[in-house]
Order: sequence, then C-alpha cells, then structure tokens
Amino acid sequence: MMFRVIAVLLALGLSLPATAGVAADGAAGPSRSLSQGRTLHGKFVQERRLQGFKAPLRSEGRFMLAPGRGLIWQSEKPFPVTTVITAAGLVQEVGGAETMRMPAARLPFLAKLYDMLGGALTGDWRALEREFTVVRQGDDRAWRVELQPRTVADPAAMPIRIIRVSGGRFVDRVEIVKDGGDADALEFVEQTLSDAPPSEAEAALLASIGK
Amino acid sequence: MMRRLGAGAFLMLVVLAAGYLGLRAAHGINFHTDLLALLPQDRGDPAVQRAHDVVTRALGRRVMVLVGHPDRERARSAAVRLTADLLKSHTVAGTDTAPTGDRMRRIGALYFPYRAGLLADGDRRLLLAGQGKALATRALSQVFGFPGMADARLLHRDPFLLMPTFFSGLPIPSSRLAPDDGMLAVRDEHVTWVLVSLRLSGEPFELDVQKRFIGDFDHAVATLGPDVRVLKLGAVFFAAAGARQAMGETSSLGTASTVGSVLLVLLVFRRLGPLWQSLMSIAVGMVSGLSFSLWWFGDLHVVSLLFGMSLIGIAVDYSLYYFTDRFVCDAAPPAERLRRVMPGLGLGVLTTLVGYGALLLAPFPGLHQIAVFSAVGLTAAFASVVLWVPLIDRGHDLPHGAPLVSVAATLWRFWERSDLRRLRLALGLALLAAGAAGALRLTADDDVRRLQSPDAELLAEQHRIETLTGTGWSGQFFLVRASDDEAALKMEETLADRLAGPVKSGALSGFQSPAGFVPSAARQRENRRLVRDALQTPLLAEHVETLGLSEPPETAPIGDDAPVLTLAEATRDGAVPFLADLVLERSVGSVAHVVKLDGIRDVGAVRVAAEGLDGVRFIDPAADFSRLFGAYRYRAELLLGLSAVLMVPLLAVRYRWLGALAVMAPPVAALLLTPALLALMGEPFTFFSTMALVLVLSIGVDYAIFCAEATGPRKSVTLMAVCLASTTTLLSFGLLAFSQVFAVHTFGLTMLIGISLSVLLAPLGGLACRGR
Repeated sequence: MMFRVIAVLLALGLSLPATAGVAADGAAGPSRSLSQGRTLHGKFVQERRLQGFKAPLRSEGRFMLAPGRGLIWQSEKPFPVTTVITAAGLVQEVGGAETMRMPAARLPFLAKLYDMLGGALTGDWRALEREFTVVRQGDDRAWRVELQPRTVADPAAMPIRIIRVSGGRFVDRVEIVKDGGDADALEFVEQTLSDAPPSEAEAALLASIGK
Repeated sequence: MMRRLGAGAFLMLVVLAAGYLGLRAAHGINFHTDLLALLPQDRGDPAVQRAHDVVTRALGRRVMVLVGHPDRERARSAAVRLTADLLKSHTVAGTDTAPTGDRMRRIGALYFPYRAGLLADGDRRLLLAGQGKALATRALSQVFGFPGMADARLLHRDPFLLMPTFFSGLPIPSSRLAPDDGMLAVRDEHVTWVLVSLRLSGEPFELDVQKRFIGDFDHAVATLGPDVRVLKLGAVFFAAAGARQAMGETSSLGTASTVGSVLLVLLVFRRLGPLWQSLMSIAVGMVSGLSFSLWWFGDLHVVSLLFGMSLIGIAVDYSLYYFTDRFVCDAAPPAERLRRVMPGLGLGVLTTLVGYGALLLAPFPGLHQIAVFSAVGLTAAFASVVLWVPLIDRGHDLPHGAPLVSVAATLWRFWERSDLRRLRLALGLALLAAGAAGALRLTADDDVRRLQSPDAELLAEQHRIETLTGTGWSGQFFLVRASDDEAALKMEETLADRLAGPVKSGALSGFQSPAGFVPSAARQRENRRLVRDALQTPLLAEHVETLGLSEPPETAPIGDDAPVLTLAEATRDGAVPFLADLVLERSVGSVAHVVKLDGIRDVGAVRVAAEGLDGVRFIDPAADFSRLFGAYRYRAELLLGLSAVLMVPLLAVRYRWLGALAVMAPPVAALLLTPALLALMGEPFTFFSTMALVLVLSIGVDYAIFCAEATGPRKSVTLMAVCLASTTTLLSFGLLAFSQVFAVHTFGLTMLIGISLSVLLAPLGGLACRGR
C-alpha cells in the first residue's frame, strides 16, 4: 500500500521547491530548498483506474502540506475520508471515527520516504536516485519528471512501473502506473503557498497521530 | 609382606581405572551440561514434564538478533547477509524470518482459499455487534482515501478488505514489530531494526556449540560493516559469557589457590615428598572416582563432576595428617607413624563416607552422581595414603617445625587454660547471640535467575531488545492438552477471550496461540455465517455498486460444508513462522499445544484465565527450576541432618555415646552457626550453601576426631595438621567467596565461615571427649 503514499508525497515534495523558480543545475524541475514554516494548500482530483471496474474510482478533496510537520489529505467526494501523515505515523478517519492507525514504529517504510522527501526538499537528489532513475525534461515553467524504480527484484515491495510528474510553478499532475495495469492519476489545482503556519484545526489533526 | 601385596593389588585397580578412563576419554567423554538432566525422574504428569522439557529446549535454542541501521535498505540487506551467513554455519538449524517476499506469498496462498472464515478479532467483534457498516466504510476509505491499500485483484476477491486486517492481526511474537516487505521490523527514532530469528542445531549449554556458534556469529557480524548495529538475545550468549567468566575465574582463583597451597605445604615441610605424595593421593581419588562413576552411570553431569571433585579434594587432609606426624620427632618408622594416625584417619573416612552416602537417599540424579563419585574417589585416595605412602615415604623427623607447632598449640591453650575462662565464655555468648540474631533473619533463595548472575552487558542488550520489540522473554506459557486439534483450538479461543482483559490492563503484553494462526473449524464456520448474515447479505450489493465493480466479486465458498483451514495443513511445510513452536504433539487421540505469554507483569491475572479450563495449565519454567533448586536444597538439608545422626553410632564404637556426642558438637555447632552468620551478613541461603555445609560437616568431624585422638606430644602436632589442612581447604574453597558467579560465591563464603568455625571449635570436642 505504501507505494502510493510515496508517489504522492514525492510529487508534493517536488512541488514545493518548484515554486522557487529556476533549478540550480539548469535542468528542469524543482531543486531549491524551501524554508520550513510555509504551508501549501490545494485541491486534488484523484482517478484510480482499476482492472475489472466499470469506471475509474474518482475522488476529490483538499490537501495541506507543511514541511517538517506533515500532510493532511481530505477526500470530500464521494465521501469524506481524512488521512494525516506525520513523522509519528499515519491515521485515517471517516466522519470522526478512526478507521486506521499506523504508528511510525510499524511503518519502517515511512523512514525511507522521509529520507527521499527531505532530500528532494533540500535539493539533494541522491536518496531519490538510489531508488529511482530520474529523467527531467522541459524548463521551469513547464517541466516533466519521470521516476522509474531501480529495483525490479522485489515487485512485492514496490509494484510501480513508472511515476510521471509534470507542472510549472507547482506540480500539476501525477500519474502512477503499476505493474498489474492499474493506474492512478492525480490533478492538483488552486494551489497556494503561504507563510502562515497551519491553522488550529490543521495543527490539531497533525497532533492527533501522537495520541 | 601383606602390606606390599595390598599395595600391589590396589595399584592394579588404579591402573585398571586409569585404563578405563583413558578408553572413555579416547572416545570423547561428553559431560551433561543441561540442567534438565538434573531433574528428578518422577515429576508427576509425564505430559507436562515433556512439554516443559520441549518448550525449555526450544526456548534455549532460540536466538533473536536485531540488525539496525538508519537506512532501511542497509538494515534489510545486513539482515539478509547475516541470515545467509549463519545458515551456512552448521550450528544454526533454521530461521523463522525468511528475508524475502516469498514467505508472504506462501502465507497468502495458504490462507486465501479459506478467507471467508478468517476474521481478525476486532472485525469479528464488530460483526457480532451488528456493525457490518463500519467494515464497509473502512474498506471504502482505503479505496478512496489516501493510502490506497486496495489493488483491483484484492478488491475483487475480498471486497470488504478483511484479509489485510486478518494478516496484520496474526500473533507474531511481538507487540511492536511489524511485517515490512517480508521481514519483521521496527523503526525507532532514526534507526530501522530488522529481526533475524534463528534456531540453533545444538544445546546452548554445550561448550562446543557455544564456541562454534559464537565464532560464526561474531565473524558474520564483523563483515556487516562498522555502522550496522547488532543487538542479540539468546541463552547461548548468556551461557557462553557465563562459561567465559567461569574459565577466567578458574584461572585466576584457581592459580591463587594452587600456588598458595603448594607454597604452604613446601614452606611447612621444607621437603618435596609430602607435596607430591599428597597430590598423588588426590589424583588417584579423582581417576578412580571418575572412572567408576562413568562406568556406573554411563555418563556424568558437569555439576556432579565439579562438586564431586571438590569433595574428593578433602583427601589431602588425610595425607597432611599423616605427614605432620613427623613433627613429633621421635624417629618412628613410617609404619609406626601410620599406626598412630590410623584410628583418626579411618574414622575420618568412615564419617565422611556416611556424610556423602546420605546424598544417595534423595531421588535426585545429580545428588546420586555426586555421592558415588566422591565416595569412591575418597576411598581410593584414602587407600593410596594407607597402602602406598608409608612404602614410598623415606621421610625423617622434621625438627624445624617446632615454632610452627607451638603457634598451633595456642588454640589448645585458649581452650585449656583456666585463666581464659571468661574469654571463652565471652566467645561462646557472642557466637550464641550472633546465631540467634542470624537465625531470625535466615532466608532461603532458590531463584534460579539469581543463581545464574548473567552478564551485565548482555542483560542491557536484552532489555534494549525487549523495549524495541515489545517482547518479554519470560518463558512462561500455557500448556493446552486435548484429544484432538479442534478441541485444543476451541480451548485456546476461550482462553484468548479471557486473556483479552489482562492484555488490555497491561498485565500481559501479548500471547501467541495456535488458534491465533488457525481458528478452530467451529470458529471458521461461525465466522462464515457471521460474514454472510452481517456483511454480505445486507451490504455486499450496495458495496459493489459503490465500488463500481464490473463483475460480481469472487467470494470464497461460505457454506457449512465448505472446507476449512486445518492446523495440519498450516504446519505442513512451515509456511507460517513461529507456529511450529506452538504445536508440541499431534498424534491420534492426544495433542499438546503451547500458548506463549509475552511480558507478564501480573502473573496472578494471567493464571486466573485458565481457571476452570480442563486441559489448560500455566507453566513457568523459571519458577519450576527455582522450585527444583529449593527441593534439592531442602532434601540436602534433611540428609545433612540425617548423616550427622548416622555418624554418632560410628563414633560411639570408639568414644562411647557421650564421647561421640562431644566429638560431634563442634561440627554441628559450625553447621548451625554458619547459616545464621551468613544471614547476618545479608547473604541468602541457597542450594550451593547446603552443598558447602555437606563438606563443612565431613571436614569438621575429621578435625574433631583428629583432636580427640591427640594425646601428649601429638596434641600440638595434631592441631598443626588441622590448621594446615584447613588453610589449604580455605585456599581452595574459601577463595571462591570472591567469585562473581553468585552460586560459586555462596558456596565459597559458606565454606569460609564453616571451616573457620570448625577449626576454632575442634579442640573443644577433643577435650570434652577425653575429659569425661
């Protein structure tokens, strides 16, 4: 299950420095670090195309990403599901009732994720490139990044064929294609970057994992 | 002539014994090191006994290693490397953590066909409460929410996503470790720890196994790289550390005692003869005792060997007693000297044999071996002194000993001089007061865990592992016995319901039962009905519609006659880790399962869970071992008293009844005062203290006999022999009081106090005996 978490967090991680403008090494795509304390808000539309399903599973909602603090992912349609991920772990709730709780101790994978994400945020691509071959194209107003897992030895670990990320100032679109033929597509719209810390409600959600 | 004939015959016996010993040694003598071998043969219920032994063995053979690195991948690859390297070692029989995704696939393949009847506890409770809707919502949240667990194939076959929950609820032996791509791992602060769980192919207490495994282990760890951290836990490490410490102490304390004794004998006699002839008699005793016991018992336990050897060691007193006669300086020939010391020697040996022989009366194999080994060895040593030494001895008078003799005589003067009466009275009262005060504080300690005094560094690692994994290696378990698997599994399900309370309150951190891996057939059928009535019938159509599945889901057969997963199938090819350890016996008409208990904080709350469940028993190996040590101690105490009583008629033959009682008084006083003085020092009384008291009694009676035999010029000389003998004894045993090994320490300290008291009081017995 975690590969999707990675893919999305990676994409969002990329999106932050993208706002800072030109990449340091001249290549397209995000590379500069972003100071902590800023938050990114936006809306998303997710489409999962699964084999044997009539239509794509479509959900939409809002997200909030605060570097160093965590991610809040709130689906609103077809029904409300809130997922909160921080360094302490992961919690999911539906209508105020918890449906899943995974402390970080039970998610060793999360650590790798944070390494990669942290690297991407500070312009250090090495952690990411250990796991993926990274191909970057375009310029900073319209760029594309393709990530392909290096390890094919253990498909159970990461059954991803390719991740395609594209955007301009922010990440606009993420596509994750899996080995079985399933594919997820995410579109991000109405993204805004602010210097304000997360709101009280958001902070409470982020803190809920440590409970 | 007769004398020479006897000496020759004895020589032939000793050569025979040495030859047999050599023959056995050539085939390699394997001394038992397993504490289980010391258990009495009759311990009640044989099934319980077998379960106890099997589980204790299995637990003893387990090795748990955590491999840690900040980088998850490096931790994982290090764990794979370590496992592969150790599996190549012949000391490792297998691993429970297959470091590939392969095991997950095998588990999936085993369970998936039966999924309709497999429910996690929490899901089952929700369905029982009629809250099927909550499960449907959870599944939807996983599909539409962020961490999309569901792939299309899984959703198609398990639309409510019940299997992932069931899998994560399988009772892997830890509350904190989580499955992570086929490995068990935990993330702590900045380090990922990956579990490597191994089973040794041999007994952890065998020195050979220890040496080879730890050699291979250290080598494998050394190649992992400097920044990979490794935490280890297993009986083999503790046993090896204990053996290492014992070896270290043996060489330091052993050297001190040997050098001390040799120097003492050399300084006192200023001749080599007494030294090598004393050593010869001990060697004869050891060889004969060992040879006879090996022939008699087939093999020996290492504990019997050690105690037996120390008991034979007192044979040196007999040769010293003989040799000190030279200080009398009357130019008597060796035969005459022997004649003079013979009554004392003979009585000494007889009483000691009574003392050791009493150990035979206990139903404990360990005590039997000690008794036979030491009795035979002591007899042989005595025979060598009586038959050989006078023939070899070319010794003459030793006039240089006069000053030493007069020093030894001080003790006589203390007991004899009338102007020291008050001093004697004061000493007597002081001893009485100390004895009374100590007796009030007397406590016995049979806790086997304390007797082991484990290595501090390993203990710290154990504590760290327990904190990281949430596992407590208590070794306690429930034994579940029934006529077949189904009955046992049902019982375990009842037990699991009852243990939910203690788990919730923290009295128990977790448990693993076979039923946690394979529910009973009845439970599986009940689960199917529950899924059908509370989930599928009311909610499936709507759920499939919401999901938008294009074809109807492929649910597993749900009828009552559909096949169920059986324990036999689950254990067949070892696909499920940790399950094999929980199934002890599966034969027609009788099965035995184990429910392992982790991190018990309140034994009472856990025990109570089995109440009224026929066939379920709480078993605590550490407590059982402690009880065993307690039983051994108690038996040895009784036999000690009995042997003191048996010595009296033996002594009465020579000293009459009152004289015999007088001779027995000093050693018995030492016997009673020693535990009290130990208690005053805050030292607990253990099985090993009792074993030391067996020695104290035998030696103390010898001293008192020697004193009772002493007359005229031989009085002071006898006391010198006693002082010399006791000094060598204190050098060999008293020094053990400085050992870091608790058991050895208590043994040594008891000897130190007991022997000192015996020497101090010995002349009193002699005086009282003759004063009648």
